[in-house]
Amino acid sequence: MSLRLRRYTGLMIFMTPAALWLLLLIVLPHVDMFLLSIRPKGPGGALTLANYTRFFAEPIYWNTFARTAIYSILATLLTLVMAFPVAYFIAKMARGRGKGVLFLLCLLPFWVSELVRTYGWMILLRESGVLSGFLVWTGLAAKPVEMLYNDVAIMIGLIYTSMLFMVVPLVTVLDSLDDSLIEAAYDLGGTAPSILREIVIPHAMPGIAAGSIVVFMLTLGNYLTPTLLGGKESLWFTEQIYNQFIIRFNWEQGAAFGFLLLVLSSAIVWVGLKLTGQTLAGAVGSR
Amino acid sequence: MTAPIDLEARDVVKSFGSFRAVHGVSFEIPKGSFFSILGPSGCGKTTLLRMIAGFLEPDSGEILIGGRSMAGIPPNRRPVNLIFQHLALFPMMTVAENIAYGLRRRGVSRPEIRERVGRMLERIGLPGFGDKRIDQLSGGQKQRIAIARCLVLAPTVLLLDEPLGALDLKLREQMKVELKLLQADIGTTFVYITHDQSEALVMSDRVAVMNQGRFEQVDTPQGLYYRPRTAFVAGFVGESNRWQGWVIGVSGDEARVRTQDGLELIARASERLVAGQPVDLFVRPEGITLSKDPAEVGGLANRLAGAVESVLFDGANSRVLVKEAQTGGEVTAALPQTDRFADLGPGQTLHLGWNAGGGLCFGKTP
Repeated sequence: MSLRLRRYTGLMIFMTPAALWLLLLIVLPHVDMFLLSIRPKGPGGALTLANYTRFFAEPIYWNTFARTAIYSILATLLTLVMAFPVAYFIAKMARGRGKGVLFLLCLLPFWVSELVRTYGWMILLRESGVLSGFLVWTGLAAKPVEMLYNDVAIMIGLIYTSMLFMVVPLVTVLDSLDDSLIEAAYDLGGTAPSILREIVIPHAMPGIAAGSIVVFMLTLGNYLTPTLLGGKESLWFTEQIYNQFIIRFNWEQGAAFGFLLLVLSSAIVWVGLKLTGQTLAGAVGSR
Repeated sequence: MTAPIDLEARDVVKSFGSFRAVHGVSFEIPKGSFFSILGPSGCGKTTLLRMIAGFLEPDSGEILIGGRSMAGIPPNRRPVNLIFQHLALFPMMTVAENIAYGLRRRGVSRPEIRERVGRMLERIGLPGFGDKRIDQLSGGQKQRIAIARCLVLAPTVLLLDEPLGALDLKLREQMKVELKLLQADIGTTFVYITHDQSEALVMSDRVAVMNQGRFEQVDTPQGLYYRPRTAFVAGFVGESNRWQGWVIGVSGDEARVRTQDGLELIARASERLVAGQPVDLFVRPEGITLSKDPAEVGGLANRLAGAVESVLFDGANSRVLVKEAQTGGEVTAALPQTDRFADLGPGQTLHLGWNAGGGLCFGKTP
């Protein structure tokens, strides 16, 4: 066997699991989903784009999508703003053991399932919950306050769930920032805000982009948190998909919505990368 | 002293926990001079530099720049700039933006920034480099940009933290000369820290040799080389043959020393010595006269003979390693590049000699 052929065979053996995984779990279902989405409901009938046009024709659908996208962007930005100081502290200020302990503290909530974590928030926020009880006890509120089933509750849940996915890439990228760059800027007359703006953030941009993409995608595709914390009126787009599939048995429509979610969210990520001058390759760390 | 003092330290002390990094250091550096702090790693020179730059505060003592006390003044408000060991150029900015950074922070107007950056680039011999990215530059160019980034702010004192360490030998030799000329040209006070004695000796007007948190000696390069005041300086600056022994007789400023391996040598005493006192004795390889004929070294106060062990050829810096006949100890001597020694090889007998003034002995503190 020639060397080239042998190398080729080796590559094939190593790549096969990944290729199978891609093919069976990602490509095939999506092809099937796409085929499903261009069929009319019910047996027979010619291929149609009706399932897609319905999304744009019915305001409730695209309004829900727009609302989901805007809230996801907002949740991503808020997560970034909250995670950045945490990541900066872990990467640049904490030393030795403290660093590991802090990182572990960020990780700890993820040892329980998302469902349990969300129920935790419900215990805190509901009318008969801990926070409401505390307000009544201190006399700040006359009667129990319902803090669940509104947009703020959804936001809290989404940000809480997303924190780790923002903190990890930020810690990695800030760790790689040479301390002497910060000191040099300080030495040359820089102040804390200007160093943050001109040195730290430009350096951290790939990490910010990576974290933001992950958080945005996770938030947009989240079903559990908006449904549990937002209640029936949460109007999250994943709920629409769930409704089509499970409640209305309209798999064709659900498949079209699923596809739209994929395409539109990819478009938003693309626009985001363009606006910040980042590349996908840079964000996933191959640059 | 006519030049005003740009940088002054008064009894500066700094400890980290129980470790005392800087141990009561005082010095004055006149305006426009090139001052080096030379010492082995861990001697406290970086700590001292970071205190001057303002990244550390002294535990006690005072640092004055241009006559003004720097106590409590943060690095971004001090009239000093630091060239970092790895330069710390900002990779997210172009060359011009790097140089302009400090000016922007001072609120200098855009046209003036552009003009001053352009002039600075010309001065360091890199005109038209403004739009290049940092990773497009060579090591020597980066060096010059780092210097330009500080000098454009016209600091009272420029601090340099071993910036030549990362360069290869050839470039380092070239940059040494370049730095010295640049400093003479612009007249800014340079404070250069290094563990490389050649860098310190070549560039500096004055050198402070630092050891274990203290200044051992502050002197001109020639002074350090010819008149070291402590055993540490004698051993650290330049090469030396070193013997340990004790004094067996003193006459005037010369001491007769018996070394541990049984040689009797006469050397200049650096201080008042008494008979029986243990001493370190240093003899520079370049102070030793070599001959194949014993009569030629006959008139010198110290004479040894031995067999050549090996010839360390290094052009003008060549050395010969001689195994001393009487004790078997090794002696290094400079090898003059003349015809007489061109055929020198291992095993040949050589006669070595030097006068009392060629050796220097220091009393050991028990």
